[in-house]
Amino acid sequence: MSDINVLISKFDFIANNPKEVIDKYIAEGKKIIGCFPVYTPQPLVTAAGMVPMGMWGGQITPTVAAKYNPIFTCSIMRSCLEFGMTGIFDQMSAVMMPMLCDTFRGMSSAWRAGVKNIPLISFIHPQNRTDSGALEFLIDEYKSVQEKLEAIAGVKITDATLSATLDLYNTKNLVMREFCDVANDHLDIITPVVRHNVMKSATFLEISETIDMVKELINELRNQQICKWTGKKVILTGITAEPEEFLKIFEENKIAVVGDDLAQETRQYRTDYPSGNSAIERLAANWMELKGCSMAHETDHTIRGQMLVDMAKNKGADCIAICLMRFCDVEEYEYPYISKMAEEAGLYSLCLEIDQSTQDNGQSRTKIQSYAEI
Amino acid sequence: MQYVLGIDIGSTASKAVIMTYDREIYAKTVVPHGTGSIGPKQVYEKILSENNLKKEDLSRILVTGYGRFVFDDADNQKSEISCHAKGINFLNPEVRTIIDIGGQDVKAIRLNEKGMILNFVMNDKCAAGTGRFLDTMANILNVKTSELGSLSEKAEKVVTISNTCTVFAESEVISQLSNNVRLEDLVAGINKSVAKRVASLAFRVGIATEVAMSGGVALNKGVVKSLSEELKIDIFVHEDCQFAGALGAALFALEELEKKGDAIT
Amino acid sequence: MSKTQEQKPKRQLAKSMIMVNEQTAKVYAEAREAAEKGEPIGWSTAIFPQELCETFGIPLVYPENNAAAVSARHLGGQFISHAEGEMRYPINICSYARLNIGMADKITQPGWEKVEPAMPVPTFLTLANNSCTQLMKWYENLSRNLDIPIFFVDCLYNYYEEEPAPHKVKYVRNQIENTIKKMEEFFGKKFDWDKFLEVQKISQINRIMFNEIVSLNSRKPAPMNGFDLFNYMSSLVLCRGKESTTRILEQLKKEIEEHIANGTSTYGSKPEQYRVHWEGIACWPNLGYNLKTLKKYDVNCVMNGYVTAWDVAYEPGDMDGMAKAYQTSSTNSFSTPSIMEKRTESIEKFSCDGMLCHVNRSCKLMTFHIFVGRDIIEEKAKIPTTNFDGDQSDTRVFSEAQFETRLQGLVEVMKANKEAK
Repeated sequence: MSDINVLISKFDFIANNPKEVIDKYIAEGKKIIGCFPVYTPQPLVTAAGMVPMGMWGGQITPTVAAKYNPIFTCSIMRSCLEFGMTGIFDQMSAVMMPMLCDTFRGMSSAWRAGVKNIPLISFIHPQNRTDSGALEFLIDEYKSVQEKLEAIAGVKITDATLSATLDLYNTKNLVMREFCDVANDHLDIITPVVRHNVMKSATFLEISETIDMVKELINELRNQQICKWTGKKVILTGITAEPEEFLKIFEENKIAVVGDDLAQETRQYRTDYPSGNSAIERLAANWMELKGCSMAHETDHTIRGQMLVDMAKNKGADCIAICLMRFCDVEEYEYPYISKMAEEAGLYSLCLEIDQSTQDNGQSRTKIQSYAEI
Repeated sequence: MQYVLGIDIGSTASKAVIMTYDREIYAKTVVPHGTGSIGPKQVYEKILSENNLKKEDLSRILVTGYGRFVFDDADNQKSEISCHAKGINFLNPEVRTIIDIGGQDVKAIRLNEKGMILNFVMNDKCAAGTGRFLDTMANILNVKTSELGSLSEKAEKVVTISNTCTVFAESEVISQLSNNVRLEDLVAGINKSVAKRVASLAFRVGIATEVAMSGGVALNKGVVKSLSEELKIDIFVHEDCQFAGALGAALFALEELEKKGDAIT
Repeated sequence: MSKTQEQKPKRQLAKSMIMVNEQTAKVYAEAREAAEKGEPIGWSTAIFPQELCETFGIPLVYPENNAAAVSARHLGGQFISHAEGEMRYPINICSYARLNIGMADKITQPGWEKVEPAMPVPTFLTLANNSCTQLMKWYENLSRNLDIPIFFVDCLYNYYEEEPAPHKVKYVRNQIENTIKKMEEFFGKKFDWDKFLEVQKISQINRIMFNEIVSLNSRKPAPMNGFDLFNYMSSLVLCRGKESTTRILEQLKKEIEEHIANGTSTYGSKPEQYRVHWEGIACWPNLGYNLKTLKKYDVNCVMNGYVTAWDVAYEPGDMDGMAKAYQTSSTNSFSTPSIMEKRTESIEKFSCDGMLCHVNRSCKLMTFHIFVGRDIIEEKAKIPTTNFDGDQSDTRVFSEAQFETRLQGLVEVMKANKEAK
């Protein structure tokens, strides 16, 4: 197999087998901290010598989680709780949970009731980010998370270590953004599924590994001939765009993904850790600078819509595919204006339902195919 | 003579249309079995035998509908949205909004003056507002789904069914029956329930005249009337509307032949 | 609220209730007057620090309260349909939001058919997310759709059982103080700190009095049909800092004390057999059916968790205390163990035999509490609980048959428990 295909297979394996990744790190004597979506202070985990791993649920129909978790809440949280209650996450030393929406508020109690063996580190971001006291609040909030992580790791995180870690995270951000750009010249190789596997792997792997592997992929891609894509191009937006069967529908209809605003993917990498008076201030400032996310309140309520329209136009896409996680209320509140802004800008918008508890993609298949046939 | 065949394999029924190269509808037929059953095979064999045709007389077969991926003899498949749009546009080129209520899907499609799709929406994954809802209700009332339309015409008033959940709506209907509510009035309420749900979807995509319905439920005059009231607009229902999908599939088959240079008039 | 006027009263409306209706009408009238004069008028979330606008003398109306009133009168459907249809809002978001966002769109269109109580078009919004995060998203949409600013006090969330840490109180206090400054600019008037102190004092007097009245229902038999509390809550929502509320509560207290003295109750002449704690918001469109069915089984919902939301307790003059109070009000600002601790105390105090839980399709948070809290209630309060499905304002969720079946089940267990004693 050629080098690039070997790499692509590696990403495929990692994205689909996070358990193997955890096993490897545990065997190396490392501690794992699970990170609930979407934004958690992962640099603190890395700086403490532990490995932060993304928790993105899975394609299952929960049964035991139903005791604590109403059915009209998002499937990604229900799957996570199910995994927690059935031992799938047992190797984690703790999990971090941000209070980004009402379901998280409920889950912080549900997890403690149902998963007594994995400690929960809850914390909350300030939503009034333009208030003069917001940054100071988040610094203190992160400090309390830091104390808990230090207790688990048995080390104290110094300012210097954290600062160096933040720089490393900025490098990762840069590399991931570069990958997304380079991928658009090689849409024959970086199909929607491959692209997704790279992005998802980056949420499981230790940071240095991610940087090295993605850099290697970028170099391999640069050695390939540029592909002039003749099919359609879409931007994906939402929480997640999975599973593979769903993404394959785009591939079958010769539609390429040329950009995304997915919580699991590019939203993780588009905001850097700025400079600041201390490392912890830099960490907190990252949240303050976040733009265009349904979970971070903004005073200008059209930023995300405009960002998506601009992204589509810059990348030559004529469609914004809104991957709407069923029961994700923060995304559901934004669906109307995003779809209308897209249409006003002369773009198509698709509303594709994402639900981890169902294996039926029939509706999405019809919608995507119909768009391709226009 | 050469023909093309379009088949629409839905969740509850399979429809077939044979067209000539002159774009005339040569034959059409429907069987009340959908995907995953004998339906697709049956409608294929039936339309051939009823018209004394053989497979070899067909230059091209195109399928659409939920079951379009598992029909072996098809030369190609296209989504039901594209096919319904094409079919209805053929039946009435003035139509700009199509509302299709199928067995388990509801779709609203907007067309431009060229008959091309501008935008479309589909229902949330839920039986409310679909043919399945009507079938379930008809079952409880011990009538045929096909009778729901004529029954509601005799309604004196509309008995509201408030629940959209099919399961709860069932118990609501049973409760009303035990209160000796008139069957006709109850049917009117059921039709209205479907109409409200469908209207909501239609408003999302925007209404432009002319508005037409397609799909089996369009044959239910009660639902059509109720929907017309909700949308505050006249709805055009062609007698062949149930075949719109299969018709569109047949037309696509012809277009594909013409592109290949194979269709000789 | 005017909803009790819609039920055919077998007895005359109590004077206190007439006063509530008059007070509500006045709130809306003042708001409409201000709107007509082109003066500022705000839409506010239910537990935003009302003391601020009360001090500024700027009228507020409350969309959640309005949605409850409109849906109690079965008039919410058209707005919900509009929000779900043309406006494309998914059906899964809170029905108050769908109703209000749909209504907000209609009132900006000329000649719309007014639905009483009619909300005037707002010029600003006041948002506190102590009740939930959906409020924040709802108000973002209002702000975008109506092109008006939001005054936001982010109240965070108490994910553990401990008191809010100092850095949390500081953040909320800072926001309150900054909001005052921003409002001074927006309204073009200075904030009167002396008046503010007075408003705080009145708010505390009202709060304490309401708690006393609610406590009266812990007597056996209860002098009030607990459902009445839903009606009086309106005063606390709309006029927490007003003296008119003090008058109403004084009157109500008098009436209840009279009932106690006479051995009567607003529950009616047939005595209660079972005392039940109602968990969750009311099913506003189905109040009549709920009440009728509860009475059929001789159940008095003597207490509900919802009324405690307006127990916003602080010392007048203590800004830290006020900040802390606003981040520890509402069922939804607490963890489930915290809430169930409160419920257990309440169940004991009010001698409840069982707990009836409204699984409200619109309120994920309260539903989580019900699901996660069930074990805690059974273990600590040792009473049976039952759930039923419904919604606070969407008529398409509640099922009469299911409600009665579930209630009957609960009654059978409560009956067996009593006989076993």
